[in-house]
Amino acid sequence: MSKLQTLPSPNDPAQALAAVVALRLMADQLERKAVAVALAQGWSWSQIAEALGVTKQAAHKRLASAFTKSS
Amino acid sequence: MFETIRQRIRDMKTIKALCFEAEKIANAKGHKEPGAEHFVLSALALPDGTARKVLARLSANPDQFEAAITQQYEDALRHVGFELHADAAVQPEVPMPLPTSTGPYKTQPSAQSLMHTLTREIMVKYQKENAAAPLLGAHVILAASAAQYGVATRAFRAMGIDPSQLADAARAEIMVSQKP
Repeated sequence: MSKLQTLPSPNDPAQALAAVVALRLMADQLERKAVAVALAQGWSWSQIAEALGVTKQAAHKRLASAFTKSS
Repeated sequence: MFETIRQRIRDMKTIKALCFEAEKIANAKGHKEPGAEHFVLSALALPDGTARKVLARLSANPDQFEAAITQQYEDALRHVGFELHADAAVQPEVPMPLPTSTGPYKTQPSAQSLMHTLTREIMVKYQKENAAAPLLGAHVILAASAAQYGVATRAFRAMGIDPSQLADAARAEIMVSQKP
């Protein structure tokens, strides 16, 4: 994050905003996959929240529903 | 009059099927809520077959739309320097919960916009001309063509189809399909 000059150019807003959508989707799915592995390894929601930099309530609210059937 | 009421009831069933299938597709692909692209996929699966005929009019294979969604994600990621196979990015290993019948039906803003255009503009216009006109998959494609940006629009562009071409083909298909 310290090298902001390495960010892609936003000069083509349509392409840049489409990339933002794709990156958000990728981040959401990476998050779910990582949380699934963490839960399988015995992590608590408190630990997951700490690693994500959010509150336990926020992590649980956003992610727990994805694991109610698999966990 | 009675036939018009019966047609509106059939249209409500079509909308219910459209929404349910869109949500099912979205969830299977790891999206919590369906977007316009999932409504297009759902429209392509409607039994009237008119959404598929719209794409066929443009010499495009309707079965390629799903791949085009993946393609536009790949293109978008490539633009910012990510050279990876989009399947790795957009195909979830952890499935989202299946749709349930409880709670309000939620969609992404792109799908809200599509449904607003479909029900408040397109169907109002067509049913003003012919009160018994049925809601068709082609109307959904016409509604999707109203967007200039977003995943669905980019996927159509990845298939070589721009919104104005799509709108023209959808209108032509609706005209043919609604001929008495």
